[in-house]
Formats: sequence, structure tokens, C-alpha cells
Amino acid sequence: MSEHNHPDMPDDYSPEGLAQIHPLAKPFLFLGKEKVKRGFIWFPVVGLIIVSAMGFFFPPKHPAPWDFGFSWAVIGFVAYTIVVLSAEPLFKMLARDETYYGEGEAPKLVNKGDHYE
Amino acid sequence: MSDLLNMFTLGNFNPGFIIILAGILCALIPTHQIRKALVLLAPIAGGVLIAQQFTSAEIIGGIWQVGPLKLTTLRIDSLSMIWGYIFCLAGVHNAIFGFHERCKITDSSALIYMGAAIAAVFAGDLITLFVFWELTAISSVLLIWKGGEGSFQAGIRYLAYHVTSGVLLLAGAVIYGMSKGGDYSFGFIGLDAPGAWLIMLGMGIKVGFPFLHNWIQDSYPKASITGTVILSVFTTKLALYALARGFPGTELLIYVGAVMTCFPVFFAVIENDLRKVLAYSLNNQLGFMVCGIGIGSQLAMNGVAGQVVAHVIFKSLLFMSMGAVMHRVGTAKASELGGLFRSMPITAIFCLIGAGSIAAFPLLAGFVTKSMIITSAIDHAAYGGGTAMWVVVMMLLFASAGVMEHSGIKVPHFTFFAHDGGHRVKEAPWNMLVAMGLAAALCIFIALPFKGFGYGTLYSLLPYDVEYKPYTTDHVVFQLQLLFAAMFAFAFLKRRGVYPDERKAEILDFDWTHRKLGTDVSHWFGAMWTRLSANIDNVKASAFGFSGKRLSRIFSPAGAFSAASPSGLAALLTSVMLALAMLIIFITGQ
Repeated sequence: MSEHNHPDMPDDYSPEGLAQIHPLAKPFLFLGKEKVKRGFIWFPVVGLIIVSAMGFFFPPKHPAPWDFGFSWAVIGFVAYTIVVLSAEPLFKMLARDETYYGEGEAPKLVNKGDHYE
Repeated sequence: MSDLLNMFTLGNFNPGFIIILAGILCALIPTHQIRKALVLLAPIAGGVLIAQQFTSAEIIGGIWQVGPLKLTTLRIDSLSMIWGYIFCLAGVHNAIFGFHERCKITDSSALIYMGAAIAAVFAGDLITLFVFWELTAISSVLLIWKGGEGSFQAGIRYLAYHVTSGVLLLAGAVIYGMSKGGDYSFGFIGLDAPGAWLIMLGMGIKVGFPFLHNWIQDSYPKASITGTVILSVFTTKLALYALARGFPGTELLIYVGAVMTCFPVFFAVIENDLRKVLAYSLNNQLGFMVCGIGIGSQLAMNGVAGQVVAHVIFKSLLFMSMGAVMHRVGTAKASELGGLFRSMPITAIFCLIGAGSIAAFPLLAGFVTKSMIITSAIDHAAYGGGTAMWVVVMMLLFASAGVMEHSGIKVPHFTFFAHDGGHRVKEAPWNMLVAMGLAAALCIFIALPFKGFGYGTLYSLLPYDVEYKPYTTDHVVFQLQLLFAAMFAFAFLKRRGVYPDERKAEILDFDWTHRKLGTDVSHWFGAMWTRLSANIDNVKASAFGFSGKRLSRIFSPAGAFSAASPSGLAALLTSVMLALAMLIIFITGQ
């Protein structure tokens, strides 16, 4: 077991763990590491800095009244944040038990060994 | 009769008919392989037939005179052609994706459903449109019911929505046709025409207007794995075509579309079932296209047609990837998935391509189509649209970031990355991988930055000449700003622990009004009626019992009148009754 695996699963890099991993996925196992997940933020940060700077040199050809060098970056961040922050109050307001409508789960899939039907 | 025979000659044959016939034939074929070959070949034959028939700007054929009605069963022009082609292409994808499934009903209903959608797209009049409009509903409900026991009620609700939609369409068509002296031909209608509101409402149900949208999120996630992929293609896109044909440039649609883009974003973020998330995402994407139809300029209509093509491809791809996950893991619930890139890396890559396409990343499908709609909205606002139109533009940008949240990040993240769900399964079956691979390749191909190839191929199919260039530096830069900012917000909020965990729940939407409130109210009325009936029965019983007893006491053999009474009393009673009778006759003057 490791910090990035399911408690019932062997470590990705152990022989038992590796035996259960798809061969094509083995070079990308680093994606499951907590450090990599936390470090992912630097990818959009760097990208954002570059394209925001470029926005001043390549202004939009069809500008809206609010447009400036990195206006779409601001819109993207604010819009995304609003959506995510609205999740908790909305969940409290709208979430009910899964059996609320009393219709049962669908589709009910049957385990056929290596797949479900 | 000669009209009817004429309809079935090659030049007059609606390509949808061939697929419907294949579907009927499919129901009779017991051999799996032959049936699957038919499911694959029928849409190819349909596509070839469209190419054979579409030799000039507008082909009209298959005229059938039924009494006073003149039906035009074939009309191919630059608008219907693109819908016809993409439906045939989707049919091929679906056939490959569902190759493993040994189900006669799925094969047959999928073909009839697809054929009906194609036949409706090529319908030249409103009555023919109505017939195939209803056939899409009736044939597709079987795909939902194949989802199992729990999907039965969802299927019934689906039918109720779609039959209502058809009835409204027919009612509107009759009013509209009568006002035109019996001409039912399907062209521009506009909201001022008699019956137009009914027609638009009928189309609005099928396209998922706000408050009429719930059938999508209710039924699609409850269908079978293959069924959901098939369903995601045809019904809503057929309705979009009908709106694009009948109501281009209708201002109301701009605002309806803008609302459609935004509200699903808030539901998608809290939904646990990823197929339901994709169903909300479908609603959101349809909003962009409805908005484009409302704007109605050549750029906007090209954007709508292009987005339909791109959307069918990338949305199928996303539904297919979730279907593949369900096939192996048995669930599409975000709370039970995670870490699947270890077991299903190829599916993960295809899903990421679909997610990137819907989020409109440069070099992927949505980038070259959605931007046409947003640019046309900005142009419309800048040239006389006013403040309201700028609000619409802002809503479209907001929704673009929202798409990045639910389809661009949430679906692939919670399925293939996030916490390890502990599933070590096989990669998707070969047929699913081929279907997803084809869709992923198309997502890349139609966005390749070459005018004579790549996006140029897609643009050459659009209804109007295209001057729009998607790969300008400012467009790439500003689109990347939006997407990188959304990714940064995701990573930042996740690190801060603000991003919500996925939790099992039933999320209430507007369908609560009929699924819960409506049901409870009808149960209440039912209970009240039962109690009222019981009370009325009691009152009746006691009233009849009382008077019966009284009468019995007087007139029965043991009653007062049968008792031996003095002749004087009998004479008195007779006199009183005679006097009463005379009094009544005197008063009434008889």
C-alpha cells in the first residue's frame, strides 16, 4: 500500500502492483503520485502567464467592451470559481438520498467476470 | 398509387427509408454476425445514397399526394445534407461500439431510430416531419428500456415528453398549413405565423429548452450502455435542425439558448453519475447552438452546423468512454471510480481528446466550430444588439469555462485520475476502442489547421460560404487564457480543499415538480377521493337504510297500513289524500 493507491491495492511499483497495470500505463504511473498531482498547478500557471502576456500583443479582433490583455483569463478564473463555490450550497439545497424517487438504480448491470452487462 | 411507387425510385428515395427497412429486417434476423453487418452497412448505404442524390443546390423528390395533402418525402439541400451525413457517420460509430452486444431489439431499434431521424431531416413538409418525429420517439424508447427494470419509468416519462412534443408539432403544423391554404411545406416559419408557437414549443421539448429539458438527464443515463451512446446523437440534433430550418434569426432563441448554456453547469458540478454529468453537458452545448440559430447570421448558422458535426463526434466519444468504463467496472459514479488510467490507458487518452474537444482546445474539434457562434454573438452585440446581447456574450463565455469544469476536467479527472478507486480491470474491448479511436481521430482531423484539409474539409460542408479563420493568433491566445485560467482555478481550489468531493445523492431538478410534487399531489387527491367516496357511500347507505325502514314500517305486510284499522280512520286517510290531489290539480291549473 502507498499514499497514492487504494487501501486494498498493492503499491503501483511493487511486483504485484505492476502485474495489474496495463503495459501502456506503466510509463505514466507517476501521474498517480501525490507530488505530481500537487505540482500539476504549475502547468496552467506557466501557460497562463505566457498567454496573458501575449494577449497584450495580440488583442482580439472582435473585442467586447470589457476586453483587455488578459480579460478572458479573468473571466475563466472567476467563472470557474463561481461554479465550484456554488457547489456546496447547491448540494445542501438539492441533494437527497439516492432512493428519493423510489425507482431503484438503472441500469442494473450484472457481473460477467471481466465485464458487466 | 403511381406517386407512392415513384417515392421508391432511387432519385426520390429518402435515405432514411433504407435504414428503417434495414431495422425492420434486423428484427427478423437471428444470426448475430449478419445483423451486425446490417447495422454497420445500413448507415454507410444511407451516406452513399445522400452523396448520389445531392447533385444540385436543392433536390426535391418523393412527392406523394394523399387526398388534399401533398407530402414531400425528400428534400436535400445544404442545410439538411450536413445533418444527414453526420447521422450516417454516427451510425457507423455506434454500430462498431455496440458490436459485442447480442441484442436484436437494440440493433433493430437503433436502425429504425437512426433512419427515422434521417428521414425527418430530409422531410420537405411538416406532416412528413411529424411522422418521423414520432417514430424517433417510439423506436428510441426501447433503447432506454434495455437499461433494465429501473429504467421503465424513465422510459414512460421519455415517451410522455416526446409524444407531447409531437402532438404540439402536429397541432401547430395543421394551424400553420391551413393558414397557408393547405401548403404544409417546411421552410422558414417565424414566430408571427399562425401555429408557430406550438411548433416551436414542440421542437423546444425535443431540444431541451429550460424547464423542458429533464427527459435528457432522466432517461439517457438509465439506458443501456450502447443505448446511451446512440441516444446522445439523434433526437436533440434533429430538433436543432428543425429549429434551424423553421426559426433562424428568432431573437427569443438567443436568450433561451444563453440560459441553456449556463444552468446545466451548476447541476453538472454536483452530480455524481458521470453519464448524467454528460447529459447536462449535452444541454449546455445545445444552448450554444440554439443561441446561434437565434442570431441567424451566416456565420452563426455555419457555426451551428459545424458545431452539430463536432458535437456529435466528441459527445459520442465521451459517452463511449464512459460506456467502456461501465462495461468494465459496472458503474459510472464518480464516487466509485478513479485511478482507471492504470487499467484503461487507451480509453483515458480517448476520453481526454473528447474532453479537450468539448472544451474547445486549439487543435481539437470544438475550437473551430464553437468560436464561430461566440464570434457571431460578439458581432451581433457590436452591431446593434445592445446591452442584452453583451450579457448573452458574457453568459456564453461563462458557460465555456463551465464546460471546462464539467466535461473538460470533472469527467476525465474523477474517472481516470483523482483517488485510486481500486479497480484493476481489462482495457475496453477492441470494438469499443476502434469506435472511440475513430471518433478521436475525427476530433483531431476536423481541427487540423489547414484550410484545404482538416478544418477546411468541415467548412466545405457548411451551408454558407465561410470566410471565418479559426486559427488567428488572438483567437488561440484568448481561448487558451480561458482554458488555462479554468485549469488553474481547478488546481488552486483543489489544493485549498474547496473543490467538492463526489458524494452519492439524487440531485433534484425541475422534474421534481412532476416526479415528486405531482405524484404526491395526485396521491393526495386519490386518497381524498377514496375517503370522500367512502363517506358518500356511508351517507347514502344510512339515508336509504333509514327511509327504507320507515317505509317498511308503513307499507310492509307487517307495517302500519297492513294492520287492521277502523274503517273510519281509513275513510279519513282516503279523504285527506283525495283533498291533497284536488289541491295540487287546482294549483297547477290542470
